[in-house]
Amino acid sequence: MQLDLTNLACPMPIIKLKKFLAEQVGQTVSVEVLLTDKGGLKDIPAFCKQKGLNCQLLKNEPVIVFRVESIKS
Amino acid sequence: MIEEIGKLSVIHSKGTLDWAYPTFILASTAAAMDKEVELFFTFYGMKAALNTTDDLKVSPLGNPGMVLHSPVGPDWFKRVDLNHVLPGLIWTLPGMSQLATWGFKKTMLQQGQVPLDELRELCLELGVSMTVCQMSMEIMAYQESDFIQGVEFAGAATYFSKTPVEQSLYI
Repeated sequence: MQLDLTNLACPMPIIKLKKFLAEQVGQTVSVEVLLTDKGGLKDIPAFCKQKGLNCQLLKNEPVIVFRVESIKS
Repeated sequence: MIEEIGKLSVIHSKGTLDWAYPTFILASTAAAMDKEVELFFTFYGMKAALNTTDDLKVSPLGNPGMVLHSPVGPDWFKRVDLNHVLPGLIWTLPGMSQLATWGFKKTMLQQGQVPLDELRELCLELGVSMTVCQMSMEIMAYQESDFIQGVEFAGAATYFSKTPVEQSLYI
């Protein structure tokens, strides 16, 4: 699953990711998040940490791609 | 998940478009991260909570820190900071604050930002609590009906009763 947040500036990537997560309540999350906002390189991991999600940077050129997923228990 | 999520509170006192963005950007982000957010609009800052945001303008006049780029023209021209290269007197001419506001709005959209109304609406949707200073409202002869749905009207004591013990921002 992909979440395209390209061409959005702060704070929209975080807000759209938050809305996306709100739609996944009770489900295991695994999503590729695409963004062009350079601030997201730090913001997306910080947001995920606070939400208790795993966040892995897959690529940062030309588009930043993170894999965001629920922590497996 | 981290339990201590805390609160954010901002006293918003500026009546210009450029300063309304940081308040709503911080508020929406904090709310998205599950913080309780309280915005208190006082004095000219109230304009950011009016039904229409058309009164919010930007002007390089008396605003030396402002960076103003043209949203149109060749690339070399778009990179020029007009507030830096043009004499301050230019901004006193009629229509310049409308022109600067138009340029600012267009540049913000080109950079992936959303219109202020939309950002403000998102804040409310995310549960940001907004209070307009009753005293400021009365001094400036506004009425409750001039403000967007969802804001409350109260004084400073109400604000302090709802805000974090240790930190607030003043914008």
